[in-house]
Amino acid sequence: MTDLLKIEDLIVEYKTRRGAARGVDRISLKLQKNKTLGLAGESGCGKSTLGRAIINLVPHPGKILSGNIILNLDEDVPYEGGIISTGEVNIPYLGEKEMRALRGKEIAYIFQDPMTSLNPMVSIGSHYVETIQAHEPDVEKEEALERGSKMLESLGILAERIKDYPHQFSGGMRQRVMVGLGLVLKPTLLIADEPTTSLDVVVEAQILREMAELKEKFNLTMILITHNLGVLAQTADSIAVVYCGRVAELASTEALFEAPKHPYTQALLQSVPDVTKPDKKLTWIPGAPPDLTHLVPGCVYNPRCPHAMEICRSVQPPLIEVDDSSLVACHLYGG
Amino acid sequence: MKQDAIVKGIFLRIGPMKESLRHQSTKWWVGFGAVIISAVVLLIGLISLAAVSNSGIGLQSVAISLAFAAVLLFVTTLAKRLDSGRWTERRPVLWFVPLGAIAMMDVVVSLGLLLAQEEWLRFTVEITFAGVILGIILLLYTEGYPLLRDRGSAGFITIAGLTLVFLILYMTAISDWIVPYAPFDINVGGILAAPSPRFPLGTTDLGQDLLSRVIAGGAIMLQVAAISVAVCFVIGIPVGLLASYKGGVLDRIVSLVMDSLFAFPGLVLAIALAAMLGAGVVNMALAIAVVYIPSYFRVVRSQVLTVRELPYVEAAIVLGATDREVLLRYILPNVLPSAVVVMSINFADAILTAAGLTFVGLGLGIDITDWGRDLTTGAQYLNVVHAWWVISFPGLMIIILALGFTLTGEGLSEILTPKLRE
Amino acid sequence: MGLIEFKRVKKYFPIQRGFLESIFTKEKTFVRAVDDVSFSIAKGEVLGLVGESGSGKTTTGRLCVRLIAPTDGQILYEGKDIAKLHGKDLRLIRRRLQFTFQDPTSSLNPRMSIGNAIADAMRLQGIGTSDERKARTEEILERVGLSPVSTFYNRLPHQLSGGQKQRVVFARATILNPEFVVTDEPVAMVDVSIKAQILELMMDLKKEFDLTYLFITHDLATARHVCDRIAVMYLGRIVEVADRNRIYDDPLHPYSVGLMKAIPVPNPKVKSEAVLQGEIPSPIDPPTGCRFHPRCPKAFARCPVEEPELTDVGEDRQVACHLYS
Repeated sequence: MTDLLKIEDLIVEYKTRRGAARGVDRISLKLQKNKTLGLAGESGCGKSTLGRAIINLVPHPGKILSGNIILNLDEDVPYEGGIISTGEVNIPYLGEKEMRALRGKEIAYIFQDPMTSLNPMVSIGSHYVETIQAHEPDVEKEEALERGSKMLESLGILAERIKDYPHQFSGGMRQRVMVGLGLVLKPTLLIADEPTTSLDVVVEAQILREMAELKEKFNLTMILITHNLGVLAQTADSIAVVYCGRVAELASTEALFEAPKHPYTQALLQSVPDVTKPDKKLTWIPGAPPDLTHLVPGCVYNPRCPHAMEICRSVQPPLIEVDDSSLVACHLYGG
Repeated sequence: MKQDAIVKGIFLRIGPMKESLRHQSTKWWVGFGAVIISAVVLLIGLISLAAVSNSGIGLQSVAISLAFAAVLLFVTTLAKRLDSGRWTERRPVLWFVPLGAIAMMDVVVSLGLLLAQEEWLRFTVEITFAGVILGIILLLYTEGYPLLRDRGSAGFITIAGLTLVFLILYMTAISDWIVPYAPFDINVGGILAAPSPRFPLGTTDLGQDLLSRVIAGGAIMLQVAAISVAVCFVIGIPVGLLASYKGGVLDRIVSLVMDSLFAFPGLVLAIALAAMLGAGVVNMALAIAVVYIPSYFRVVRSQVLTVRELPYVEAAIVLGATDREVLLRYILPNVLPSAVVVMSINFADAILTAAGLTFVGLGLGIDITDWGRDLTTGAQYLNVVHAWWVISFPGLMIIILALGFTLTGEGLSEILTPKLRE
Repeated sequence: MGLIEFKRVKKYFPIQRGFLESIFTKEKTFVRAVDDVSFSIAKGEVLGLVGESGSGKTTTGRLCVRLIAPTDGQILYEGKDIAKLHGKDLRLIRRRLQFTFQDPTSSLNPRMSIGNAIADAMRLQGIGTSDERKARTEEILERVGLSPVSTFYNRLPHQLSGGQKQRVVFARATILNPEFVVTDEPVAMVDVSIKAQILELMMDLKKEFDLTYLFITHDLATARHVCDRIAVMYLGRIVEVADRNRIYDDPLHPYSVGLMKAIPVPNPKVKSEAVLQGEIPSPIDPPTGCRFHPRCPKAFARCPVEEPELTDVGEDRQVACHLYS
């Protein structure tokens, strides 16, 4: 299995007036083809920043400071003024023109809020036409609309609704439209940022199923960013738990839920209600995530960790392989 | 230990100050330098003026006002340290003690200077006011700056605007005592004499010293502006609150009236009203106020409509709040910031409109010391004898004053209207 | 007799029509947010009201505390109908019936310190002197874990975290010692690792003040953890009511079945299923007969014709479905 995406020692820094905060602090990950990687964590942990760094759209005042994001292309990608050849490309070092060619065509990104991600003045069809023509300028409008309608159909929306405007769709429908826009150019990698967070549970289940079907059909590789561990349990092959810009634990989904290793993962799982276990005693994590502009030395989780040792307060634990497929950044496991 | 800290805090902040100074960027040093240099220049100008003042006690007046300002600064800093930064009910007491003391000092000094009986009251009031204004300026830079610095360019604009406004206010307040000639004294120099060392800004058509008239001429405009803003506040805001909160027929009628007023071109309406009401500061102010009330109404209305739907207003209702409670404690405080922004723009526009009304002849009498008056006179003489100074300097002052208010309004608008940050 | 009883309550919101439209069509259209709902909540119970957006659960909650008045029906509080109360009587009742909103940030006046916001609850009801209110507020701040109290009293909402703000919301709701609290999605906008803290706080407050809760949420997993009984709403009507275990282990109404199957369980071995197709229709023009029939996998001839009533099916549960009547 080749790796579609390799992230090496990525650092993304936000320069705020109060100081510099690292949204992503030396994260390294590998993503295999046709797999779904889940990025789990609470609000502000850096998972969204990581997702946006992959398409090099980190919002101001953030910037990729250093590190590599290596994407493995299996076809040539033309851009305005040249061609990106097959093989490995390092995203932070690409120019804006090259990135524009990659976005949508190779990497699709679905933003968090479907309510505001669509232009209310423009029909859904126009969104599709614009997206398609941006990457395939020779495609005629009718053909683009045709492709758009087919995509809507495969997502359970009537084809003729391609003419409608965003406000005529419900939340769930809009999210489907967004998923469709992301997939219409048949990208290799799909990054979905909280795709079902604002939706009700029934629609959520429908969309997750549709995304799974489309993943099969289009041979997609997915990165699913969400704080909802239930959703990740259902859809991800492996999960990276992110805390304060660092990966605390990276494991296969089964391994993570069955035997979580990092104290933060354990605490998270203990605090999530499980409808099949009504007598589960829910716990919470005392304290609060630290101010990223003034980090304590050592392991960033140590102030809240019940197992904190002396070494935790001074040395940052590296991410090391523990067994079969689990990686943990915790002194409890050596390192 | 605590006493120690207080004293150190006020007078000997050098240690921590040195630290923070080291971290400052070049941009900061440039700004700081500009402020210090301007302040020094202004101070020199002020003192040289005061030295040749008509009243004879110019230097003393300036000195007293400076002393007053220093005391104010001291007291505020002291109060802040004692309170650890919180506003409590003890504050007013701390304020009034030194205020009263200085007021007494004024009285003593003026009596000592053997001023005429009817003058010492005016002296006391004006110098006290001038001192307070100067104190506010100083506070702006010591207390206000840290608050506004974080807001970037908006903060800078606000400080610049407020500085301009308060400097002119100070100048107006202390004007009686530092002007080289009494502003209305005619024939102190030649008629329409060009600027010269004796009359740095030249003279008017009646032989009055233009410099003195420029220093003292802001009073009328500021009064007109202040009264009109006060009227607008007192009428526009409550009406806006009530009408938009209650909604229904009342809202529709009031909106209709306000929109109709708003549709009129401001200056034309002001002229019409001023013509109806006649001359006088109050009448001018009322005419301008009527033109402006719709602006307040609209701003307040849009804010109320937004805030009214927010959960914390509903939460207050669930707790048992009456309509009055909700309006006064939950909606008004959240509506005021926007009203304050309108207020600044209102001030600016009121000044310009007042000048306009005077220009059209609906102002006050010919003998009043007023920039608008000089502007009008200057316009008449500009082409005839090329006496450019009569129109330019008062005009410049009007522009600066209006600019000050506008900058304040712009800056405050950006600061107070919360944009999604971080 | 329950503490709170809804008897055939309806809440219809009229829709604003354009000027021309209102000339040409005489009939008004309504959003039938709550359409003939009856239930009762026993004293000391936590009743969960679950449903998707558009089900009418929030409107029901707001009716319970008379934030809005019902279009029809009775709302009995301790046997007395509060549906038509106004003015002073209504304000007095407010002491006993409280409501917490979903978003802790917009539930607090951004220009009021949290101490004042909480003390205001007493002030608005005219209880206690200024000092008494301050003391009581400090007590309750301590109680909800916001200490040291002297630091927190003067803080403004934007200086607190989401979890802390939600605690302030609960402090404010309980300082008047109410009997009944409706909480609308109390932990939806709180971080995952803090949810349990707020839930535990709610239960502690319940024990201490002898509260009764109506817990409105679309998060079924959380509802199972805290509620005694669960009522499922769909498009303005209650379709099933049962105790917390039965409703999850053995749901009867096809909608409840679909809901439970869709819950994403944090356990990779238990897969959720998207059993239900389509989406909840608009409450302006609900389907005829049983509102769920267009999506129901078990619909038969009677369903589009006749609307099923909520009937008792034994074991302390009620279902509104022709399959069971």
